[in-house]
Amino acid sequence: MKLPKFAKFREEKFGGVLFETRSEKVFTLNPTAAAVVREIAAGGDERAIIQRLQERFHDPEGVIEREALAYIAELRQKGLVED
Amino acid sequence: MSGQAPAAAADPVIPATTPATAASGDLGAPLYIAWQVTNECNLACLHCIEESGPGKAFHDELNESEVFRFLAQAMDSEIPYLSFSGGEPMVHPLFFQMVEYVCGRNAQLKIETNGHYLTPENCARLQRLGVKAVQVSLDGASRETFNRMRVRGEFNVAIEGVRNLRAAGVPIEINYSPTCFNVHEIGAAVDLAYELGAYSFYTGRTMYTGNAVKTWHRLTPTEQQYEEFFRVLHAKTDEYRGRMRVYFHEMGLLEELRYRLRHPAALLIVLPNGLVKLINALPFVCGDLRRQSLQEIWANFQRAWQDPRVAQFVADLATQPNKTATLHQWVYL
Repeated sequence: MKLPKFAKFREEKFGGVLFETRSEKVFTLNPTAAAVVREIAAGGDERAIIQRLQERFHDPEGVIEREALAYIAELRQKGLVED
Repeated sequence: MSGQAPAAAADPVIPATTPATAASGDLGAPLYIAWQVTNECNLACLHCIEESGPGKAFHDELNESEVFRFLAQAMDSEIPYLSFSGGEPMVHPLFFQMVEYVCGRNAQLKIETNGHYLTPENCARLQRLGVKAVQVSLDGASRETFNRMRVRGEFNVAIEGVRNLRAAGVPIEINYSPTCFNVHEIGAAVDLAYELGAYSFYTGRTMYTGNAVKTWHRLTPTEQQYEEFFRVLHAKTDEYRGRMRVYFHEMGLLEELRYRLRHPAALLIVLPNGLVKLINALPFVCGDLRRQSLQEIWANFQRAWQDPRVAQFVADLATQPNKTATLHQWVYL
């Protein structure tokens, strides 16, 4: 999984921005969303991305996994990730 | 394992990405740089909003080392999106080197051109380098109107250039400037853009600035013509929905600038000599790439929008719309 060429991610103090350059739309990301997008940009399949997030953040109840999966699904539906 | 639990650990749902809610002042750098790489142009268009034309390069345009120092700063600042315009950007002697540098650093790059240098070889090269899109100005659906507006230009050459882009697989955008003598062709121009393979079509009101000041009496559409123009555009937007995006700004310049006073875009306009403007439609300069870093200019950009002279200029436009004739008399903030 990766970001398409036309989706550009940049970290910001408030989290990050994802710039969809085809339609020239900018999406602002909170810190969690930015963390997910950062891992997508780094590459790997969904499982690997979740694992890296869990290694990075304390997640005993699996909250991050559920939310990250939902978020990835949303990005996929918007065409902002490629498999 | 390191770092803090992210905010969403406490929230039930990660907030969806939403269209930009952060103000540009919240950003560490601009999101978009529109660079007029040269003022030189092979054409002398009646409506040019710059003062471009043959032999009109600024005497102090950035040299090679300054060009690449600026681009390196932009790439190091992770600017995701740039455009090269002019004048005619493809006449710049370093044009392809600049394209190669930006695309090689993975930024998205749009070229805004009059289409007269889009040979099959150049189009293939642009495709190989990976430009995001090439926007070609096609101000008319016929040779008669196009050639009247684009002095020294040739409709058939521009059309051939767009066809070469399509053959090379380069994404195409078309830009259209309305005048009193081509405004009736807007529907045909949108159809032509689609037939040529464009994925986007851009237009809006032609501005009273640059070369257009001298030719305004021969150019400006009447309000009645504009009404019909926008009516057709609304219909064409619906007709091409899902196949080609039709973008147009119906609001006038004053409304746009009033909005920008409250919501500055995360955009820097870079002139051929390295001066940086707040926005194309204002005369205010907020930086100089020869003397300041991009980060310094970005910080000043945020302050400059709050300068009372900016708000005053916009307020004056309500009663003196012809003040846009002075946009090239730069005011340093």
